[in-house]
Amino acid sequence: MSELDPELRLRLVVNDLVAFSKLCPAIKIGHAVQYAEGWTVASGPEASGIFRAERPRFIIECFACGRPDWYEEILFDPDDPDDRLIVNLEYLTAEDYAIDLHKAPSLTRSAKVKKAMFLPGFAQGTGGLIIDRRFAFLRDAYRDENRKEGLRQNLLAAIAAGIPAAAESRVLAGPIPADAPERFWVSIFSYERDYQPVVQDLAAFHRDRPLLALIAAGKSSEPFLDAWKRADRPFPAIALPFLTQETWDEVILASDFAIVRGEESLARAALSGRPFLWHAYRLEDDYQLVKVRALIDRMRPFFGSEDFSAIERAFITFNDRRIDSNNAKGADEGLDVFLERLSKPKRKQGSLETGFEAWSQSLFDLGNLARGLLTFIRDFE
Amino acid sequence: MNPPLQRLSKRILYSQEDIMLVTSQLKVGVVFKSGNDILVVQRMLGQKGGRGALVTKLRVKNLLTGQTADLGLDAGEKFADVDLDHLKMKLSYVDGDNYVFLEQTSYEQYEISKDDMGDNVNYITPDDDVEVEVTFYEGKPVGIELPISVDRVITYCEPGVKGDTSGKTTKPATLDTGFVVNVPLFCDIGTKIKLDTRDGSFIERANK
Repeated sequence: MSELDPELRLRLVVNDLVAFSKLCPAIKIGHAVQYAEGWTVASGPEASGIFRAERPRFIIECFACGRPDWYEEILFDPDDPDDRLIVNLEYLTAEDYAIDLHKAPSLTRSAKVKKAMFLPGFAQGTGGLIIDRRFAFLRDAYRDENRKEGLRQNLLAAIAAGIPAAAESRVLAGPIPADAPERFWVSIFSYERDYQPVVQDLAAFHRDRPLLALIAAGKSSEPFLDAWKRADRPFPAIALPFLTQETWDEVILASDFAIVRGEESLARAALSGRPFLWHAYRLEDDYQLVKVRALIDRMRPFFGSEDFSAIERAFITFNDRRIDSNNAKGADEGLDVFLERLSKPKRKQGSLETGFEAWSQSLFDLGNLARGLLTFIRDFE
Repeated sequence: MNPPLQRLSKRILYSQEDIMLVTSQLKVGVVFKSGNDILVVQRMLGQKGGRGALVTKLRVKNLLTGQTADLGLDAGEKFADVDLDHLKMKLSYVDGDNYVFLEQTSYEQYEISKDDMGDNVNYITPDDDVEVEVTFYEGKPVGIELPISVDRVITYCEPGVKGDTSGKTTKPATLDTGFVVNVPLFCDIGTKIKLDTRDGSFIERANK
């Protein structure tokens, strides 16, 4: 939003500065009010003064995360005569309810505090996905095969430069091969799971086509590297340090195949135009499978039936808790077919390569979520 | 003239401190306040979400203007209490589009339109011997609140499948109120089931 309108004054209310500082390294811990990246960042009741001095008029509430008590007092101050609008920016989902609830009116206890829903999504009638200029520029750059290797070389150098020398042996799970930029890059960022079958599938793939695995810091790092070590390190793997969102976005764009989790990385992988596999957050009664099916149903029109079957099988088996926990062999049954099709030269991949590209273009065509949100808020004025 | 209305306790819907309702406590028949508007929930249109944060879609009627609206409410929003009266009654009969309730001590009758009954029409019939709470706002009945669960009988469904007791796979079944719900495969015509009145979901097979 700042990119779209540099005049916009955004104030972020952050409840965990330590966590936020990892995403935004300019943040100083312990400061109630500070300025970073062009935004005012407020944390804790000590920051209430700036909101009392200049009352919030448009509030973006993410995932109905709740509002701090001190903020609530300002927002619902009965002596404030002006209207204010809360937009609840919801979780990303491919389910139909995103269309149903997008821009739906909502309520608060005050007539002065209006509220509405805003849902990101993968379909017409939703708010779409965030498409910032840098990401769109890099996506185009990585699609240019003549530039790709050079960009990858620069990316690896930037990542390596960010790793303190003392930590190098711990962070790098093996030497970076000299031919790294030419290899088939697989990035891994998921929730905890048994990675043994995945490592086996990747090892089989590696025998035909050399790969490089880039393992994101986080929940999947340890299980992946454990499985990789138990398999006697069958291919080169780099355990990445915690990266900024921008660098992680670039890793996804640089990858030939990505395993991603959650929402932000899913959105980026979907927009990348590259093949990927989504690990959904596990929900009660395996409800994540409903979300996974909804997502692949959105992808279906862009693929031939055989390719889609491979994608569908991989997505479902990867997310089916029963398969993951009860049948160690089961989890790789879908992925190996998916990978086998990816191992072919691009011109022989059929709709697998073109399908992800075409789907990502359709997502770009939905428009930038940030722009849509800004327009929605301005229409309220 | 209305008979004296018995003011019932506000039950557990309201916290002791601020007398607020949160979204998760809303169900068909509950009346709440948003700004100057007095709203009654007519229909629960589904709950969706991820990672525990639910968005509830519901239809409300503004008791002051008579207008209805479909809304999306997230789980954390709070709403002010409304000064309401409640009377325990039984459904006596249905007269066209009006549901007629009988107060059990004074034998006064009160009519509530089918629209104002909302989704609650799916859960009760005049044959039931069930007391419900009729909600009054400024002396007028505006809706009813049902118990969280009710028992109903299946009048039509495909034949039951023995052995499948997981409840994971379901089939549609028509109830004696005409309402169609999803039930586990083991259910059959004549099976008595316990339903959640907040969303119409099957809870369990009811005791015969």
